[in-house]
Amino acid sequence: MTLTALSFTLLFVMGTMMVSIWQKLGLEKDIAIGTVRSAVQLLVVGYVLQFIFNADHILYIILIILFMIAVASWNAAKRGKGLPGLFWRIALAISASELLMMGILLGLHIIQATPQYIIPISGMTIGSAMIVSGLFINHIKQEVQSNKGEIETLLSLGATAQQAMQKVRASSVKFSMIPTIDGMKTVGLVQLPGMMTGMIIAGADPIIAVRYQILIVFSFTASAAITSMLLSVLIYRLFFTAGLQLKHPQ
Amino acid sequence: MSAIFQIHNLAKLNWSTDANALNKYLFSQISAEIAEPTRIALIGASGQGKSTLLRIMALLDTPDEGDLLVNGKSFQHIPARQWRMTVTYVAQQAVMLPGSIEDNLRMVSKLHGQPYDVSLATELLEQLGLDYLDLGKVAEDCSGGEKQRISLIRSLLLRPEILLLDEITASLDINSTQKVEALLLNWHKQQGTTFIWVTHDLEQARRISNRTWMMDKGGLQEYSSDAFFNEPVANLAKRFVGSTEGSLH
Ligand SMILES: Nc1ncnc2c1ncn2[C@@H]1O[C@H](COP(=O)(O)OP(=O)(O)OP(=O)(O)O)[C@@H](O)[C@H]1O
Ligand SMILES: [Mg+2]
Repeated sequence: MTLTALSFTLLFVMGTMMVSIWQKLGLEKDIAIGTVRSAVQLLVVGYVLQFIFNADHILYIILIILFMIAVASWNAAKRGKGLPGLFWRIALAISASELLMMGILLGLHIIQATPQYIIPISGMTIGSAMIVSGLFINHIKQEVQSNKGEIETLLSLGATAQQAMQKVRASSVKFSMIPTIDGMKTVGLVQLPGMMTGMIIAGADPIIAVRYQILIVFSFTASAAITSMLLSVLIYRLFFTAGLQLKHPQ
Repeated sequence: MSAIFQIHNLAKLNWSTDANALNKYLFSQISAEIAEPTRIALIGASGQGKSTLLRIMALLDTPDEGDLLVNGKSFQHIPARQWRMTVTYVAQQAVMLPGSIEDNLRMVSKLHGQPYDVSLATELLEQLGLDYLDLGKVAEDCSGGEKQRISLIRSLLLRPEILLLDEITASLDINSTQKVEALLLNWHKQQGTTFIWVTHDLEQARRISNRTWMMDKGGLQEYSSDAFFNEPVANLAKRFVGSTEGSLH
């Protein structure tokens, strides 16, 4: 695909913006910013990846993975304003799940230890862990709000923070995993996943593409489960003061 | 021997950030002492902060100033869990925990890994006129008055030293109210439990208490109930209504 051909796809974007202006949806600005951002981000990533693939040095791989984790954690932590220390806890949960996934995939020689494998698969795992974290935080905040009476009743009866939060934690873990599990159930039937599509377009044998996709789906599910369970352990205490009072929402 | 419960210069700041707010404090300079097992009626106009005071006493809210002591020990030196097992709050709005009525009654023993006292629970249910209930019923489906009594029994099973009762008969008929009063008076006599009972019903306050705490204009006054309720009724009513007016800024 030439750059000229690629530029023609901008016509789609312009069409969308026209509709937005015509229908007074007020989305033109967001669409314009989104377009420029995604194009610039992806182009930069392309060059960075090219550089790393050529350099083939472990340090660069670690750096880019740390960068991904930082961006993902920062993004997910935005959902939890008023919960101090959330960023580090999310970063810890995502890092742990990434470490475990890579440990298994590399340790069992399921994938090769080259940046071409490690970086994209890490990116997808971390991205999915980010979505799970965001959902988890969103949900647990709401649940604490709507179960305030129940939590305080348990506290009055002498419950620990853990006992008082048990139900809310379980329901938030469950909730945050719904999209991953639903995705697993319908994968390939409803939509062809991005990576598989990409490989097929790039000329890979569909059977090979499918194998990688299965790998990815399983990794996603495992990393979603690990991330959200770890998060539930790491953050439930944030809703309480040092004196074990449920904090008022800001 | 130190007093069972002491309140020293307790204050709670007003939420209102409005600079023109008349009072910086919801209440302040509140001091009281409970030297021996006592039945206390806590009265005062709506919005004076009776519930807030009880919630602070149960450490569900933090005081902004002052100190609270149980058996001579400050709340700052006792783990909140242990404190709440000694000073237990029964909320104005009874909240049922998920599951059946029995799950609710068993909660205390489950939380603390203690055996469940079936015979006591059964006896309390009977004394409060709840023996007709099917304990397997989903607690959330109970009526308001049933919930209030279940939540009282749930807390009694914890056998706290001090019970903080927040308008616990507000949604009960006369008959059930009498049963609750009789049960608590008896419980006090048998177990030596102190209770602080918030009520808007002055007749009830007179029946159940030997001390009266009145919250008014951001402060708290202590009276002997005998003296307080034996004043000429007109005088009393005037004072009570007066305090209502005083709170309507
Ligand atoms: N820091 C605070 N904590 C709690 N309540 C506060 C605070 N500051 C202001 N308030 C207000 O003070 C009032 C206290 O209400 P509270 O429930 O304690 O009163 P109450 O005496 O129990 O009234 P009622 O008899 O209606 O139950 C509420 O209107 C609340 O919004
Ligand atoms: Mg109240």
